Amino acid sequence: MIRKQLTLASSAALLAVGAMSPMLAHAQTKQYVIGFSQLAFDDPWRVAFNNQMQRAVAQHPNFKLVLVNAQRDSAKQVADVENLITQKVDALVISPNEAAPLTAVVRRAYDKGIPVIVLDRNVLGDGYTMFIGADNKMIGVKAGEYAAQWCAEKNYNPCNVLEVTGLSGSTPAQERASGFREGLKGNPNAKITASVTSEWQKSKAVPAAAAAFQANKNFQVVYAHNDDSTEGAYIAAKNASLDLSKMLFVGIDGLPDKNGSIVSVMQGRLGASFVYPNGAVEAVEWISRILEKGEKPPKKVVLGTDQITPTSAKMACAKYECEAK
Amino acid sequence: MSIPTPHLAATAALAMPGGAPAHRRLLDQVLRFQGYLGLLIVFLLGSAFAPVRDNTNLFLDLPNQMNILRYVAETGIIAIGMTLVILIGEIDLAVGAVLAFSATFTAWLLTNGQFSTGTAFVTVLFSGVALGFVNGIVTTGLRIPSFVVTLAMMSFARGLARLIFGGVSIPLLPISEGGGAPESAFFFSQRLGGVLPVPALVMFAMAIIVGGAMRYTAFGRHVYAIGGNSVAARLSGVRVDLVRVTVFALCGALTAFASFIHAVQLNQGAPNDGYAYELNAIAAVVIGGTALQGGIGGIAGSVAGAWMLGMIDNALNLNNVEADVQLLIKGALIVGAVALQRLQRRT
Repeated sequence: MIRKQLTLASSAALLAVGAMSPMLAHAQTKQYVIGFSQLAFDDPWRVAFNNQMQRAVAQHPNFKLVLVNAQRDSAKQVADVENLITQKVDALVISPNEAAPLTAVVRRAYDKGIPVIVLDRNVLGDGYTMFIGADNKMIGVKAGEYAAQWCAEKNYNPCNVLEVTGLSGSTPAQERASGFREGLKGNPNAKITASVTSEWQKSKAVPAAAAAFQANKNFQVVYAHNDDSTEGAYIAAKNASLDLSKMLFVGIDGLPDKNGSIVSVMQGRLGASFVYPNGAVEAVEWISRILEKGEKPPKKVVLGTDQITPTSAKMACAKYECEAK
Repeated sequence: MSIPTPHLAATAALAMPGGAPAHRRLLDQVLRFQGYLGLLIVFLLGSAFAPVRDNTNLFLDLPNQMNILRYVAETGIIAIGMTLVILIGEIDLAVGAVLAFSATFTAWLLTNGQFSTGTAFVTVLFSGVALGFVNGIVTTGLRIPSFVVTLAMMSFARGLARLIFGGVSIPLLPISEGGGAPESAFFFSQRLGGVLPVPALVMFAMAIIVGGAMRYTAFGRHVYAIGGNSVAARLSGVRVDLVRVTVFALCGALTAFASFIHAVQLNQGAPNDGYAYELNAIAAVVIGGTALQGGIGGIAGSVAGAWMLGMIDNALNLNNVEADVQLLIKGALIVGAVALQRLQRRT
């Protein structure tokens, strides 16, 4: 009788262990799939962003990155996120094209229990795990202050500013615009006399700036919300035969590649730029902490910036390993 | 006397002694159900190549199929209107721009204008009809090809959207989420029973209504007649100009309906939206079996075409194929569909 019970008990125990072992083995080498919904692949800052994301994920052998391109179409990005939810990704990272259209679908992923990290641009509300980004308002203020100071040093009165904005529905554009205006207040002679949009793209910045220069050749400062657009405006200014030596071109991004603003400032095209970090490395780090260590992250992590000017460009080049010749 | 134009191949076949050869009859059937066959093939291929996770085929999974329907609904609704335009041998390139205008108008009416949902809907519909009407009148009255007229309207509508609404996206949020719009408007972004997306329901409802009108009303017969041979139609007493203008107005109305849904789904009205929507709608119509010369084809085929394009996008996305490859495939399909129709005509 006892022997029967013992046999039964030991068989049950063996069965239980046998059933659990695949689970145990699985837990030790659990593969995590990270879905990254990128809004576009078509500008240098985003290419650098994607590369950094891929490199950060490669540091974790049990992480796999699924990268999707929304091609600057908010409706497509909604479908992209729905697809990542369907694929049951373990974490969602998103750089949303515009705030309002992506809010609902991001919240849906969040409500389903998928950790969601929002990078670079914001969504509305709080339906996500964490937002990692630079303070665009603060960067805008710094850019405005630099422009105001430059105008004062050159004794320009009036000091006319042409603003070339990013996509109006995106939060960085809104914040860089309002921040700049605040920073510019330091010099009452400096004013934004025209504002056009390039929607972040160099190809649109050239005709937009050209039209502004056609209407009014008297601009001392050109401030675009990203370096690529500033370079586009620079081309338009050159084509319009403006006196470039008397002008200041300000951008934001601070990329270290040979077409980026660190090299551009060293070569004297752009007068100032501000590094805009993408948060890829921090995002992957936090995903590891959330998924593998069960940590509860802060809702918002703000990244810093570096100012790139003719005096600080060499230092920035060293820090960011820029591709100067 | 206006009769729907039968397949030329079938006519030729009937005239042959002993009836048509078997392969010719098979080809006829394939071509008649081109849209549906394509849909079935894509469905089977999508299921076969879908990743499986936790014992679920991700493509066949019901939420995924519902996502597809939601995604294609706007294109499908526009494609219904585009079918009519193409059936009479014309084209409407302005639908994307009209969508941008109408969606922005929707957001403005519901938020800044504080219109009620019903009034805003009717107003937006009317604006779509008005823009379509202009297309129709200029094409018919001034005898300018619709390609040129709607190309101009493409510029005009988008410029109008940017000018009137300031070139900036207008957020469209319900009062419960801090916006100014009535909750009832967001009916169009919901899923009935948590499952069936309302936009898809609208697409099928419009298909049934417009398709039914095409089959059972004189207007429908006139549309097919004009597409088949507009001179003969006019000589038979069909008021060709009136039908033409009505068709463009209808296309405008359906585009406006899709725009309302678009704005509500995306929580914003954006004057820079809607790019390439005309290409997607035309692709859906062509792949669905309606020949670009007009006269042959139907609403159901266009909806099937739109659905098929959405399934392809979805199947490729699930397998993480690059977005650019999807564009290649879409292009190849359009050419393939038209080539298939050329085959039929060669008898």
